[in-house]
Amino acid sequence: MTGRLQTARGFFAGRLRPTLIGLVALVSLWLWWPIAPAAARQPLQTAQAVQPYLDRVAEAITEFTLDNGMKFIVMERHQAPVVSFMIHANVGAVDETDGKTGVAHYLEHLAFKGTSRIGTKDFGAEQQAMAKLDAVFDEFLTAQAAGDQAQAGELQAELKALQQEAASFIEQNQYGQIIQQAGGVGLNATTSADETRYFYSLPANRLELWMSLESDRFLDPVFREFYEEKDVILEERRMRVDNSPIGTMIEKFLEEAFVSHPYRRPVIGYQDDLFVATRDDIQAFYDMYYGPGNLTAVVVGDVDPAEVQRMAEVYFGRYQSRAVPPQPVIDEPAQAAPREFTLTLPSEPWYLEGYHRPSLTHPDHVIYGMIDSMLVGGRTSRLYKTLVDEAQVALDIGSLNGFPGDRYDNIFLIYGLTAPGHTPEEIGDLFAQELRRLQQEPVSSQELDRIKTQARAGLLQRLASNSGMASLLAEYQAKTGDWRNLFSELKAIEAVSGADIQRVAQTLFQPTHRTVGKLLPAPSGP
Amino acid sequence: MLALAGLLGVLLLAWQAPASALTPRFYSELEFSPLRDIQIPDYERYELPNGLVVYLLEDHELPLVSGSASFRTGGRFEPADKVGLASLTGDAMRLGGTTDLDGDALNEALEQRAASIETGIDTSEGSASFSALTEDTEAVFGLFADVVQRPAFAADKVDLLRRQYSGSIARRNDSPDGITSREFRKLVYGADSPYARTAEYATLGAISEADIQQFYQASIRPEQTILGIVGDFDSAQMKQWIAAYFGDWQQSGAGLDEELPSVEQARAGVFVVSQPQLTQSYVQMGHIGGRLDYPDHAALAVMNEVLNGFGGRLFNEVRSRQGLAYSVYAFWAPRYDYPGLFIGGGQTRSEATVPFIRSTLGEINRMRTSPVTDAELAQAQDAVLNSFVFNFQSPSQTLARLMRYEYYDYPQDFVFQFQDQVRETTVQAILAAAQARLAPEQLVILVVGNPDDIQPGLDSLAPNTAVNPVDIAIPQPGA
Repeated sequence: MTGRLQTARGFFAGRLRPTLIGLVALVSLWLWWPIAPAAARQPLQTAQAVQPYLDRVAEAITEFTLDNGMKFIVMERHQAPVVSFMIHANVGAVDETDGKTGVAHYLEHLAFKGTSRIGTKDFGAEQQAMAKLDAVFDEFLTAQAAGDQAQAGELQAELKALQQEAASFIEQNQYGQIIQQAGGVGLNATTSADETRYFYSLPANRLELWMSLESDRFLDPVFREFYEEKDVILEERRMRVDNSPIGTMIEKFLEEAFVSHPYRRPVIGYQDDLFVATRDDIQAFYDMYYGPGNLTAVVVGDVDPAEVQRMAEVYFGRYQSRAVPPQPVIDEPAQAAPREFTLTLPSEPWYLEGYHRPSLTHPDHVIYGMIDSMLVGGRTSRLYKTLVDEAQVALDIGSLNGFPGDRYDNIFLIYGLTAPGHTPEEIGDLFAQELRRLQQEPVSSQELDRIKTQARAGLLQRLASNSGMASLLAEYQAKTGDWRNLFSELKAIEAVSGADIQRVAQTLFQPTHRTVGKLLPAPSGP
Repeated sequence: MLALAGLLGVLLLAWQAPASALTPRFYSELEFSPLRDIQIPDYERYELPNGLVVYLLEDHELPLVSGSASFRTGGRFEPADKVGLASLTGDAMRLGGTTDLDGDALNEALEQRAASIETGIDTSEGSASFSALTEDTEAVFGLFADVVQRPAFAADKVDLLRRQYSGSIARRNDSPDGITSREFRKLVYGADSPYARTAEYATLGAISEADIQQFYQASIRPEQTILGIVGDFDSAQMKQWIAAYFGDWQQSGAGLDEELPSVEQARAGVFVVSQPQLTQSYVQMGHIGGRLDYPDHAALAVMNEVLNGFGGRLFNEVRSRQGLAYSVYAFWAPRYDYPGLFIGGGQTRSEATVPFIRSTLGEINRMRTSPVTDAELAQAQDAVLNSFVFNFQSPSQTLARLMRYEYYDYPQDFVFQFQDQVRETTVQAILAAAQARLAPEQLVILVVGNPDDIQPGLDSLAPNTAVNPVDIAIPQPGA
């Protein structure tokens, strides 16, 4: 439910071929796949046929900003009496400080716990119980730090008893229950390196219910069941990282690829940090990053934009403006030599290879998406054709462009799963061959056209989903400052030439900027 | 019925004073105007002389056309010593190209147009689908017809698929989740049941090119096919194309013996797969289930709501209150034409394994021993009925549902019958359904984890019987 790190696919990411028994999906599930904007025009014919539809969609989108700085985007779509909502908080794991990893995601879980009126039977009594709990937990941390195991054990028992007392005042999961009872579907949230998103859909006549519940949620949040939820998150970490060979691999890969960049830390947080996290840590993070100026709301569906605005002013207008939150410090030194590591785990082999690329504000941003599409998009893509279809050294291949996020400089990752009897080195050799070819040989106009057509069709296919559009519009607004970039990037792609692609490939795929990770089977694997 | 309700809806809307939200209101103070009526889009159904059933549904929102064909076949009809034949046939139909266009050229032709064609055969159904921009509809539809009627099954692509299947077998124990769901099904249905069995190196090796041809011919036939097309097309034009590209299609050779395999539960008790490297236990528990056409289907669906979801008993108790798991669930999961599963489970840290299982079992048993509260019933019914509109978000959803009902011989208004039955469900009906369908004595409890760290041990769950180890070693080629 809450807190699942989900896949959000950009235009290019829509797979044109099925993945082999979900093996490749494992990687994208682990992270939240950031948008790979880029979309294209291509043969003029399709461009002309598609453009009027895109224009019509753009005309159905309006926006307004509340006095407190909160931005709203509304897309009318009257096909069915339903509406999808998205709150996009421009804060993610990248904004955490060392020693407090996992706080953004922890907050996301706790944002489902209700308010001072929702989720409680007696808020006054509950508050007292929470205060007692937090005091004992502080003592527990002190005892642990002092190595006083006996004292720590006693305090832990006391914590359990106090948790039960606090629980007696709680109406569990009432917040989500109200939404489900009202016919809400798709209720969930995701945290990534770059952002935190809260979303669901309702029958269209319940627009005001979302206004009421969602504005209350961030006006008056109560982070109840804090310690129980910590256990839940630790279980989530065990499942996605510790007991998943590829999860462990990805965590390690980021630690190797970056020296000081906050992207090197796992979104879910380190276990030690999670153990010592306090309710105050969450509160402080919330105070800093959940001001209205840092939130973007998107409403897509069978609604009247004027009514959305009228209600938003009433409900979300209650938020007080807050100071602009600080930006994380990115001081990653340029990589000067290739890096490589190997992990031995109970799994068949994987090969991962990543290169540093700039953030999405870089003028070449769309070109990275196009390169991604050329390398792994569909059965005609270069890596699929060479490694999977012809040489058959890989069972399947994949990529993550903008890994683990793209608000800041990040990684362009390609990876492969070895076919039986083949080694990660063979995958690495053929990757090198294909990347060299991309750098040295001109791109054919046919291939360029194909990439552009696929980008355009990819966007078109996403327009038919309310929730998909809510997600895309929010992301473009929050990350690029203007949702219109969703459409204007298509035009940017039209202008890209084969020479541009070669130029970016030459900059991107430099051995000195490379990190290689190999996952090898444990000798006595299961 | 719908038209009447529509008129009423309009009147109510007209009477509604303009909603005034000048002050923020607490959620419980809100009132909502009635939802505008569900619109069932116009569709057309007809048959070709060769028996092919066609559904057409125009939708001009975007310049896109997509279609899918369902074939009456499935892995459940493949020989037991050739497990994998059905899915190999399904994948090779597309990958191996057509008699006109080899696989690589087919890939080029489609991807140059940002179009796609995919095929597959799963346990109980075969399918082929396409999608295209409006302007490419005829070209892509022509290729689609070739893939369905004239696949080449090129040997090099079939070999590629064989190697990929072998690679999947080699990797099937890499994920504890994968182990758990696979082995659970084998315990419930039996390792040799078509609903649980898995391809092995030996069964793949036993499949010949002739087997693939034969399975294709027996499976993919006009009189066993339902074709549905939705999107931006003109129906008169589309009918001409369908007649031109599918009108001459004739069956050849013998069809499948369509008798469904019999199903009964194979094992019961406590089972463990030892994975000493794990710090969590992956748990599934349950038993054989039922079909969607059972008379108590709606009551069981409401029971699912009470147990699961936000505010469901399991989420509240096992996750939020006890913090025992990130994921916990227990569903009655029926199938259209064979018994599905009753299946519960989740993941928990090794030492909490037995408490987790006991808590989850406790909730399952409570369903059988005491009635749900009126508030729980109302919550669950409202959740189903208020979200009912999401079954009608897009024309393609409607089309897929109609085709599915025809494929499995269900009434075309089944979804509305379900809605009515949910509305009429009572506390007593849920209790009766839970007592009739949930069978604690029949449970399979499977744990994939590190037995040394599971304290108390799993034997405390089965005081009178042994905890059965399950061997998941992969039989090697030639073994």
